[in-house]
Amino acid sequence: MTKPLKVSIWRGGADGDYQSFEVPAKANQTVLDVVTWVQRHADATLAYRFACRVGMCGSCAMMVNGEPRWTCRSHVSSVIRDGQLKLAPLANLPVIRDLTVDMTPFFDKWQRAEARFHPSMTRRDEVPAIKPDTAARKAADAAVECINCGVCYAACDTVRWNSNYLGPAALNRAWTLVNDERDAGTRQRLAAVSGTGGCYNCHSHQSCQAYCPKALNPTRSIAGLKRAGLAAKP
Amino acid sequence: MDIDRQQTDILVLGSGGAGLFAALHAYQADSSLDITIATKGLLGKCGCTRMVQGGYNVALHAGDSVERHFMDTIEGGKWLPDQKLAWRLCETAVERVRELENEIGCFFDRNPDGSLHGKAFAGQTFDRTVHKGDLTGIEIINRLMEQVWALPVNRLEEHRAIALIPATGGEAIAGVLFIDIRTGRFRLVTAKAVLLATGGGPTMYRYHTPSGDKSMDGLAMALTAGLRLRDMEMVQFHPTGLLAGHDTRMTGTVLEEGLRGAGGYLLNGDGTRFMTDADPLAERATRDIVSRAIYDEMRAGRTTGNGGVHLQMHHLGAEDVAKRFKGMVERCADCGFDLAGGLVEVVPTAHYLMGGVVCGLDTATALAGLYVAGEDAGGVHGANRLGGNGVANSTVFGGIAGEVMAQAVGKDKAHRAVDEGCVERAMVAALKPVGEASGDLNGLRERLLDLMWDDVGVIRDGDGLRRAAEALDELGAELMQTGLGQSDLRFNLTWHDWLNLESQISVSKAITQSALQRENSRGAHYREDFAAEGDYATSRYTVVYDADGMIAVGDEAVEFSIVSPGESLIEADSSAA
Repeated sequence: MTKPLKVSIWRGGADGDYQSFEVPAKANQTVLDVVTWVQRHADATLAYRFACRVGMCGSCAMMVNGEPRWTCRSHVSSVIRDGQLKLAPLANLPVIRDLTVDMTPFFDKWQRAEARFHPSMTRRDEVPAIKPDTAARKAADAAVECINCGVCYAACDTVRWNSNYLGPAALNRAWTLVNDERDAGTRQRLAAVSGTGGCYNCHSHQSCQAYCPKALNPTRSIAGLKRAGLAAKP
Repeated sequence: MDIDRQQTDILVLGSGGAGLFAALHAYQADSSLDITIATKGLLGKCGCTRMVQGGYNVALHAGDSVERHFMDTIEGGKWLPDQKLAWRLCETAVERVRELENEIGCFFDRNPDGSLHGKAFAGQTFDRTVHKGDLTGIEIINRLMEQVWALPVNRLEEHRAIALIPATGGEAIAGVLFIDIRTGRFRLVTAKAVLLATGGGPTMYRYHTPSGDKSMDGLAMALTAGLRLRDMEMVQFHPTGLLAGHDTRMTGTVLEEGLRGAGGYLLNGDGTRFMTDADPLAERATRDIVSRAIYDEMRAGRTTGNGGVHLQMHHLGAEDVAKRFKGMVERCADCGFDLAGGLVEVVPTAHYLMGGVVCGLDTATALAGLYVAGEDAGGVHGANRLGGNGVANSTVFGGIAGEVMAQAVGKDKAHRAVDEGCVERAMVAALKPVGEASGDLNGLRERLLDLMWDDVGVIRDGDGLRRAAEALDELGAELMQTGLGQSDLRFNLTWHDWLNLESQISVSKAITQSALQRENSRGAHYREDFAAEGDYATSRYTVVYDADGMIAVGDEAVEFSIVSPGESLIEADSSAA
């Protein structure tokens, strides 16, 4: 029989502590399955968050052996170290309880970065013809499949040092919009991402792209914003 | 009992395509209104719209028409859809896709000349499915949630609705009772209008695709409130859910249809391709036919290690498969399986519930002030849903509900008086397991999953359905005797598992009784003891409701208000004679 996994899990709020569990090892087992087993069989009060189970909703991210991961698609064998798993709530966000965090600051910054579409047309207009192979469209497409899981935000040193920093996800989305020819908000968006807490705070440590489970590259997007911001200066 | 209270004009339950569109359109219709959106998880992140892979059916392309989309929907639904609802779906989808592109900021895939790409999807006579790769739902929901976050709309995240609270007198809704999941406290939100848009999601089956947070709470609350639900026997099974054992949440999640479409083989436990005997189209046959054929292999015991069948792709060239189905191959690899080069175990999996609350063209229900949209609503899809009509349904009718509610609330200024007795009873009921000795809640859940899978699943018969009806009563009674054994209710998932089971058992009863009522095999519903489809011209749809704690069931004649069986709105297709 395979040896059980040694799992230590953060319990309580910001001032909580780790608690140890032994969890049966299985061939098909993700980190989300591990915490689910603990809740169902060892401690019914364990709090964690998940929804889709397949890497689409970005609800289940947490720190796994010190690194931010989506847990529904992290197979235990790919993240375990010396037979041990250490699980904690996602870094750089307020802890609610156990493995859950409050993502409000993350989404508030998304808005502060003007990282939403500003329309130039209405539902009464035809869908515009836009060729898929222009440079701008390719740049937007390359960065758009973010699931707002918060992994990059938790991995980012700049966010840790400067709580005002907008963070990689919001800036990455802003960059896709700068490249969207339908969008009418570029001027105010570039102002929003160039100010305090904006893109010039990024030191290109590249943790965001190292950990993004969707293999996006926010560092590159932020570099694009920096150039666009400078070019737009009067 | 200790309870938080707040008031709003419009209360939206759910933050999928229906809920977000409702909030947005209500605000656009009247920005002076106080609007609140409450959701079981995080805004836009829980539920199923986000999980849409395929796309959005819309008659926007040259050569297509609303009439053609409508006829495909009616024929796909085996003549059971409410035709007026289906027409509104097809008609409004055109404006909604333009809105998604031009106002919300979605960018759907283009042809080389820049025009919208429409892809082929099963059961449709035109390539009309607009999409963003195979991750269409993420694009739609991410863009929508960005817009809704920007609005002055109250957000109640991680708020689980537990009861629709009527006004004194009972003819109208006065508000909704919630549990704030984070604090474990009750919150009553009174509202002039409420939208039920929590999404269906048949998660009470052993194998299921929907988001794991879902448990049919909306329909369970609707039953308790006395509303009538139609077509509840119509549970759509997707033939290829990932099978990785009972202990992982990966099991049941969808491997996309395109894999079969591209030429993938299904092999039983003996390594034999069995679809060639089941249908001339083999693996490319429709979802229901492939699901039944796999289920037959499973019943005959010709299964793989975990009790399913194998999906094989490598005969198409592993490298090509890895390129063409990148997302699927990566997902399987994360879970430890080699989709491109090896074999992956699959099993049919419960995907979508066509049934739901009976409603009007304006989304209004029989309870004044309560509206319904998305998978909680019934009638649009009839006996089967076309791939690509799900997200169309939620976004079209969610938007309509927002406009209708804003108009209704604008005219009617007063909040209704709350039936406080109902609030009290709902709180007592939700607290039933708290403090009681803890029992085997997980074992109970496992038995429900098996029961629904075995007796109310892909292939049904009268004996199995009657057995299930009895067993569901027993499970329900057992749940009432199963406690939590501890009392810290803050973010207590086990308490919510208990409440999930209560909803699931309640709706399972409605599905079972409807399946007993339908003595033919139509669309997604297949009865071995009544294998014929029945005469389309005399089609009837089932209706269930809760009559003092017992499920009452009946059926009503389908009104062919736009087109009758044998006719078509497409001239060339009219082959009536």
